[in-house]
Amino acid sequence: MRRSVYGAFAAGLAALLASGTVLAKEGSGGMPQLDPNSFAPQLVWLAIAFLALYLVMSRLAVPAISDTLDKRQAKIQGDLDAAEKANEETRSLVAAYEKRLADTREDARKLMRERGEADSAAAAARLQALHDKLAAEIGEAEKRIAAQRDEVMQGLERMAEDIGQDVYAKLAGQPADRAALAAKIAAAAPGTRGGGSR
Amino acid sequence: MHSPMEQFEIKRLLHLNLFGIDASFTNSSTWMIIAVILATAVFVWGMRQRALVPGRLQSVAEVGYEFIAGMVRDNVGDGGKKYFPFILTLFIFILFCNVLGLVPYSFTVTSQIVVTFAMAAFVFVGVTIIGFARHGLHFLSLFVPKGVPFVLLLLLVPIEIISYFIRPFSLSIRLFANMLAGHTMLKVFGGFVVMLGIIGGWAPLAFIVVFTGLELLIAFLQAYVFAILTCLYLNDAVHLHH
Repeated sequence: MRRSVYGAFAAGLAALLASGTVLAKEGSGGMPQLDPNSFAPQLVWLAIAFLALYLVMSRLAVPAISDTLDKRQAKIQGDLDAAEKANEETRSLVAAYEKRLADTREDARKLMRERGEADSAAAAARLQALHDKLAAEIGEAEKRIAAQRDEVMQGLERMAEDIGQDVYAKLAGQPADRAALAAKIAAAAPGTRGGGSR
Repeated sequence: MHSPMEQFEIKRLLHLNLFGIDASFTNSSTWMIIAVILATAVFVWGMRQRALVPGRLQSVAEVGYEFIAGMVRDNVGDGGKKYFPFILTLFIFILFCNVLGLVPYSFTVTSQIVVTFAMAAFVFVGVTIIGFARHGLHFLSLFVPKGVPFVLLLLLVPIEIISYFIRPFSLSIRLFANMLAGHTMLKVFGGFVVMLGIIGGWAPLAFIVVFTGLELLIAFLQAYVFAILTCLYLNDAVHLHH
């Protein structure tokens, strides 16, 4: 394909050269590009201009641009690295936070469990104490009741003896033998003697 | 009426003689110097701030730099790094000369066969020297394609040699002919505008407007082609493979 392109260019050039010679006949001097007198000044100034531009480019422009591009690249890379580092830091901070949160939660749970155990132990002890106190009070009350009952029974016996004596005296017209009467009453009501033992 | 070829005439503005060589300052020299000054303005003055966030002119300089840097990197590889300033200069010089040639009343430096041939011959000679310097006589294996039967080599080696020596001509004539044809065409149609006058001259004028756009593209394209072919030749000399 390249060769066919060359062919096309060669043909085009030939055509232009031909047109140049035709124009030359009209008195305009042909293709000015082919005038050998014009070669030397063009080559001299091409060398000067090209060398000048080459020096400007290689000494000034290329170092300036590559320096700038490097600096920009370094800046972008530095920013990216910083961002990466910040991201890493954030991740580790989040991890530390989460670990602390989990630890704290665990501590709280343990504390609550311990507190709960202590509370129930204390409650049980208090309950026991209450229970004991109540039992003691009940026992005392029972003793008191028994004592009162004995008293009442004794009073009742004495009353029965008095009533028996009075009834005997009215009926028989003479005072009764107190001891014998007491024995008879006691025999009639055996449960009243030795109170408290039901 | 002027000839379309008149625009290519070298006019001596200042007669100079350097050691017996005619070094007159001509219209061609003027536009070469203008091209160098403008290129310097873009690449040195435009880069003066070396800003991390580039302005307009700095962006232009950086885009040009990276365009050629990428071209050299892709086509020559690491071995081409030290030739990068030369390729960049070549591209920028041709590009500025081509584009400046489109300015009315200017002179197109690259429409002169002697200029394009001098550049192409410089590239050709330079590439050949680099090839022999790097590979010695082994550089001649460039003309022997690998994996080809011996009988075919008898035919292929002469073709390779001819195609190698035709390089400076194809390289220079391609650029020269493109510039010559484009500018001649513009001038011819410009002549039509004058000939047809205010009544019929609009059609060729419209054509010139469109064609100038095309010429701008060609101005860039030919600079690009010259630079990339130089890269390919350089790659042959540096890496010696087909």
